[in-house]
Amino acid sequence: MVVFLSRKARNIYKQILQSNQRLEKSIRNYKMANFNIDSEKARTYDAIVIGSGISGGWSAKELTERGLKTLVLERGRDVKHIVDYPTTNMQPWEFDHRERLPKEVTDANPIVSRCYNFKESSQHFFVKDNEHPYVQEKPFDWIRGYQVGGKSLLWARQTQRWSQFDFEGPARDKFAVEWPIGYNDIAPWYSHVEKFAGITGNKDGIDTLPDGEFLRPHDLNCVEKYFKESVAKQYKDRHIIIGRAAHITDPKQIHLDQGRAQCQSRTICERGCPFGGYFSSNASTIPWAMKTGNMTLRPHSVVHSVIYDDKKQKVTGVRVIDANTKEMMEFYANIIFVNAAALNTNLILMNSISSRFPNGLGNDSGVLGKYVAFHNYRASISGEYEGFLDSTTDGRRPNSGYIPRFRNVYKQETDFLRGYAAGFGADRMTYSDRSDIGESLKASLLNKKYGNWSVGSHMMGETIPKESSYVALDKDLKDAYGIPQLKINIGYDDNDEKMIKDYIEQVTEMFTNAGFKNIRSHDGHRNPGNDIHEMGGVRMGKDPKTSILNKWNQMHAAKNVFVTDGASMTSTSTQNPSLTYMAFSARSVDYAVKQLKAKNL
Amino acid sequence: MERRIALKGMAAAIGAIVSLPAWASGWNDSSLGNVKFSGVGQAEILKVAVEAIIPKTDTPGAGELGVATFVQRMVTDCYDKKTQDVFAKGIAGLDAQSNKSFGKAFTEASKTQQTQLLQELEKSSDSETKSFFGLLKNLTIQGYMSSEYVMTNLTHFEFIPGRYHGCVPVAKG
Repeated sequence: MVVFLSRKARNIYKQILQSNQRLEKSIRNYKMANFNIDSEKARTYDAIVIGSGISGGWSAKELTERGLKTLVLERGRDVKHIVDYPTTNMQPWEFDHRERLPKEVTDANPIVSRCYNFKESSQHFFVKDNEHPYVQEKPFDWIRGYQVGGKSLLWARQTQRWSQFDFEGPARDKFAVEWPIGYNDIAPWYSHVEKFAGITGNKDGIDTLPDGEFLRPHDLNCVEKYFKESVAKQYKDRHIIIGRAAHITDPKQIHLDQGRAQCQSRTICERGCPFGGYFSSNASTIPWAMKTGNMTLRPHSVVHSVIYDDKKQKVTGVRVIDANTKEMMEFYANIIFVNAAALNTNLILMNSISSRFPNGLGNDSGVLGKYVAFHNYRASISGEYEGFLDSTTDGRRPNSGYIPRFRNVYKQETDFLRGYAAGFGADRMTYSDRSDIGESLKASLLNKKYGNWSVGSHMMGETIPKESSYVALDKDLKDAYGIPQLKINIGYDDNDEKMIKDYIEQVTEMFTNAGFKNIRSHDGHRNPGNDIHEMGGVRMGKDPKTSILNKWNQMHAAKNVFVTDGASMTSTSTQNPSLTYMAFSARSVDYAVKQLKAKNL
Repeated sequence: MERRIALKGMAAAIGAIVSLPAWASGWNDSSLGNVKFSGVGQAEILKVAVEAIIPKTDTPGAGELGVATFVQRMVTDCYDKKTQDVFAKGIAGLDAQSNKSFGKAFTEASKTQQTQLLQELEKSSDSETKSFFGLLKNLTIQGYMSSEYVMTNLTHFEFIPGRYHGCVPVAKG
């Protein structure tokens, strides 16, 4: 049916139509605006933690315990405690290649294949070489774990406190910048994290390696004890102790409350532990934070940058690329904790560009990405001992002996700066006659004979942070998410070479004095990074002109941003750094939340 | 089924209901994978060779324990082309040498003859023969010593020792 309308009627109709369209448009706009507001609200938290590894897990735990709604961003997949440890209960014979990796894998991944812990049972927790490429201006083995828990699943679990001699180092020896804190500032936070994580150790009363809150120590074995006594007789300032390590030898209520049980000495920790016998984010801090009801965990979230709002003149949130959809999205919070692991934290901050911070977030001083250092693990020494032949060990020990730093502690006494700690271990050797074939071979294989004790040590040297040791963004190369690739320029120097020589001389002398035989030293010439102790680039310091963070791990120039992973370290000491990152994270969250409540952020 | 018991114990130790994932139950059915043999009859020769190196006595030998499959898998997956070629040539050479010395295939030779032939290889001064036999013998020993049978029944591997004692007397025996 066709309806004929008068001109007047047509005009009225047209007006109604236009009015309707306007109304629809304004409704649409209204809805859209509200949708954006709702969506923005849904993407707003009290705090955001970038990274779920050893330091991010601690930041998350401490923030959520204080009632802050916290978003934890993890670039990799989720790894749930126990259920996502696919190899944890596999017997040795269930591995097709008995832990060796097929040539196809090692050929495709020369960098990560040089890591001692990359093997058939643990390869799924490591980043493969082509997954996140980077530029090596000097050889650097960047070992990474992109999953919930990060490298806390894979770490060596050694948890030695740093001492006053470590924090005083740069000021005394005139390198890098002064630490803005001393041992006494961090000591209570060491206690705080040790009690929760569960640290085995012996109270040794050594000022270079302060005692902590220890669970029952592991045994030193006969030869290790003998060496301890031998060294104590010869040198008043050198000690052999059992390592302090993140293993629950003697569970307390706080560990049972986490659903963790006693360490069972399986010594296959890198597969993830179904007992929660060693500390990992997955077994401990992440489920703890989840239980508060205040944590949102978002895996597959690659952080592109931290958002600095030039209008509001403050950091408002984080830009994320969803690893599955490649969609860019934003999340907002009052407080940002950057715990992406040392070098990725540098990368994120350098990629966080605004009018206010054209050279990277918080980088007024120009030191961002510089003064990166690591631990020198190049040299090792082996030998044999012919004593205690009527004795051996029983069971297995996920720990080893430790020699705290003894060089240049009280005064400068060598031609190199700083010093080294060392691992030390002994084990009874067994052997079988492998000559011939047939029944005699079979019989001798099944009838092992005891040999001498083997003894071994490896160095852990402090390296000096220098301006020339840096990471930077590559101008052209991008990763799979369009984020600039990291360029790494870090190497050994003359100080490191002298230290290697001294370690070999000193420990050879200690071995010789103890009557060890067949002593051999070895310089493995491993690349920096292979120690997996890279630190710095976003260092703490007293002066905003020469550092990025203040004594609370808080950005001088962006007060609601905190960095508490390896990137924040002013110098490296000789001790394994993870325990110190945990303590810094807890201390920094405590400060941040107090500041937030006082409306200072 | 020590491991199943241990898993149950683990759940109890943690004091929570732990649902065991699927992989925690079919532990005896470890996949052997698809191992490619490079020549007809080579699989059989290899099986006889590993059995000659570690033979059946009052306990099973390497052949019965599937060590040949392990050796073949290792050579296929973990070594370069050159080593693989040397290995394949070495296996073929066993037959050739057996035919020459005993007038029959290696798999048809008596146990004494097989052993004798392998012992001669071990003494060989030819570098290729040496590296073939060295690899065969080492992988056979590794596969045998890390087999479920040996680790469970003969060397008594403890998956969950639950202890470390630093100084105990060496057991008399």
